[in-house]
Amino acid sequence: MSMQLETSPTTGDEVITNYTINFGPQHPAAHGVLRMVMELDGEIIERIDPHVGLLHRGTEKLIEHKTYLQALPYFDRLDYCSPLAMEHSYVLAIEKMLNLEVPLRAQYLRVLFAELTRICNHMMNMGSHIMDIGAMTPNLWLFEVREDCLNFFERASGARMHSAWFRPGGVHQDVPLKLLTDIADWLDTRLPELFGDALSLVVDNRIFKQRNVDIAIVSKEDALAWGFSGPMIRAAGIPWDIRKSQPYDVYDRMDFEIPVGTNSDCYDRFMVRAEEVRQSIKIMKQCLRDMPEGPVASTDRKVSPPKRAEMKSSMESLIHHFKLYTEGFHVPAGEVYVATESPKGEFGVYLVSDGSNKPYRCKIRPTAFSHLQAMDFMSKGHMLPDATAILGAMDIVFGECDR
Amino acid sequence: MPVLHSAPKIASNEGVLDALVAALGSMVVASKEEHGEIVLTVARAEVENALRALRDDHGYQQLMEMAGVDYPSRPERFDVVYMLLSVTKNHRLMVKVTAAENTPVPTVTTLWPNAGWLEREVFDMYGVIFAGNPDLRRILTDYGFEGHPFRKDFPLTGYVELRYSEEDKRVVYEPVKLAQDLRSFDFMSPWEGADYILPGDEKAAEAASPPPVADKKTTETKADTGAGDKANDKAAEKASAPAPAKAEDGKAPEAPKSTDSRPEKGDDK
Amino acid sequence: MSTLVNSAGQPLAPTSPVGGAITAPDQSFFKDLNQEVSDKGFLVTSTEELFQWARTGSLWWMTFGLACCAVEMIHVNMPRYDMERFGAAPRASPRQSDVMIVAGTLCNKMAPALRKVYDQMSEPKYVISMGSCANGGGYYHYSYSVVRGCDRIVPVDIYVPGCPPTAEALLYGVMQLQRKIRRVGTVER
Repeated sequence: MSMQLETSPTTGDEVITNYTINFGPQHPAAHGVLRMVMELDGEIIERIDPHVGLLHRGTEKLIEHKTYLQALPYFDRLDYCSPLAMEHSYVLAIEKMLNLEVPLRAQYLRVLFAELTRICNHMMNMGSHIMDIGAMTPNLWLFEVREDCLNFFERASGARMHSAWFRPGGVHQDVPLKLLTDIADWLDTRLPELFGDALSLVVDNRIFKQRNVDIAIVSKEDALAWGFSGPMIRAAGIPWDIRKSQPYDVYDRMDFEIPVGTNSDCYDRFMVRAEEVRQSIKIMKQCLRDMPEGPVASTDRKVSPPKRAEMKSSMESLIHHFKLYTEGFHVPAGEVYVATESPKGEFGVYLVSDGSNKPYRCKIRPTAFSHLQAMDFMSKGHMLPDATAILGAMDIVFGECDR
Repeated sequence: MPVLHSAPKIASNEGVLDALVAALGSMVVASKEEHGEIVLTVARAEVENALRALRDDHGYQQLMEMAGVDYPSRPERFDVVYMLLSVTKNHRLMVKVTAAENTPVPTVTTLWPNAGWLEREVFDMYGVIFAGNPDLRRILTDYGFEGHPFRKDFPLTGYVELRYSEEDKRVVYEPVKLAQDLRSFDFMSPWEGADYILPGDEKAAEAASPPPVADKKTTETKADTGAGDKANDKAAEKASAPAPAKAEDGKAPEAPKSTDSRPEKGDDK
Repeated sequence: MSTLVNSAGQPLAPTSPVGGAITAPDQSFFKDLNQEVSDKGFLVTSTEELFQWARTGSLWWMTFGLACCAVEMIHVNMPRYDMERFGAAPRASPRQSDVMIVAGTLCNKMAPALRKVYDQMSEPKYVISMGSCANGGGYYHYSYSVVRGCDRIVPVDIYVPGCPPTAEALLYGVMQLQRKIRRVGTVER
């Protein structure tokens, strides 16, 4: 912390001009490893210079050295609050290059779990947003919901967080019927109860509103110019949702609403997420209702591996399996940019292939980059404690921001 | 080709490419439509004008992403790709420029404020310079990092690694020492035209001439073994093991003497 | 075998399935302790044991969440796993924490900060390395920007494997650290 003492030109008195403080890189409200150099006038924020890259792991470079399938788990580890949403963009990008058809059941399963991921992510974000503001209890309840979500992921894929369950051509394995019925029960009973209880403590709470309403207002024009997406652009009043306008998988068969904000402040961002959770519940119920029987992965054996049982009796399957897990599949040369609606906004993958079994270049479009960049103009003129509210409402995760 | 995949469906590309090429005129160097993506390559000096025209006249309001790509074999080795999104037309577009290390690309921070960090990232990763960007610092790599890591000629493991030094009481950088190198497999089958020598085949490649295949050697009759009946009979006999060596005075043979060259213990001063 | 009793001293029916025998706390030991405190008003023990008891009973951990593992680190602290029942409470300040849980990939840019936080912690201090990235680089081992194991920067007491380790695994790691503290003792450190 540094403080400059200067002499006032008129009175000759010593006046305090600006503070420069370091927020982070180790700060519980930074949602990871963010370092913000803040210039303060008293407690008013004058300028913020976020320093990112403290979690820069070189993911994109590593992906260039892995086959397409080996690179998939890197996507889980990008936005570790919503792993499956990250995989979604990547597998869709590969499928777009290959022009690969995905069986209907797999598409339903992907949408179902992508929405479960969205709930999971919003629980984390809303809980920590509330906690940054100063309330503890709702977070405890919302994490109970998250714990349930993680159990569902574990039952589907075997891993609590990093599932690697979406694969090019479908999903890795089918889910047991009991899991689907359990999810349905959970959607009806436990989730609304815990979620409702937690929200009832904050949405009309005076302190919560005072900390969030009219904080960091962003106009529609600014939201567009700064490349906002997801809840951030919807809170600004623009009904833009990739699930709706550029539907992928079976989102075009789903009936759901896009919540938009009216005031474009931190409170709106919070409430947009709250409503998105309810819409996700709606989508998941439709998925469970309409999901057909059938295969869960493409039958194109040049891309998606055969079942274990098949390999025991078929030589060809064995060869396919061996080739797919050593050499992998080759993707035709070209470039695509595929973006999906991750819980945090537009998560895109720009994939360049040279026709080999490894991506030539895989650029990941993090949602956080454009949001965090706007931190400076959003928090200008606000108080220092508002910075945590603004950051919490942005929903930043550094695994994805720094890659 | 019919669309089979389930990736996001944007508004139809039909006629968009031609209309944009006609509107941008000479600014467009090349254009293509592939995998359902429209890619316009524009002249480097004109990129700001082209993007301004796309933003203002054609409704591509948002710059979602900028990506760098490195093609070391080309004279202008870098591609800078701008991903545009139109929320009104529900359409996406890629605009590309090529650049070399010493040819600055005009900044687009004048059009979109979020281009600032995106350009910083491309600069950080590839070393492409953006003329006019007011804040072209490194963004993701370490403070004081040297080089541009996403270039194809930059090794994956980099050049330095970190360690805490007890002597200096601080974190120090050292050259990379790996216990095991990254294993990178080449999956090209040898019969698909691999142009390298397989491990273990080094000597085979040096051999002057392959064995003559014309005069085949087969052993269909006994004569062909080259030994004859006597040898065959001899081989059938069971050879008994020779008696163990025994010293004449009944003592077991002594152990061999130790080598003299070994230094005596404690004599290594 | 001792049986579980409720607060009134009534024996409880064993709830665990066959094979999973529950080891109940030694009731007579606690009764004796209670008796001694109420009779004499004090207990006699060695300082070593007292220090160990205090140290293992309040392992306040420094929340050094770096990446994915941080999520599991939060989960272990939330109601389902509730690490606070072992006396391990999160503490955001290095000055007041006893153990640092390095949860996630440690990158070159972050390494000096990690060391600084470690140096700021007061003795005795312990480090739990959580997840394969912190243990040795893991999935990111060959990256140009990743420290290949946080033990290159700080001395590590307990390594918890996994990517990420489940909340149970971290809980077990904390219990292992408590064991280690008891075993190592206080005077030597």
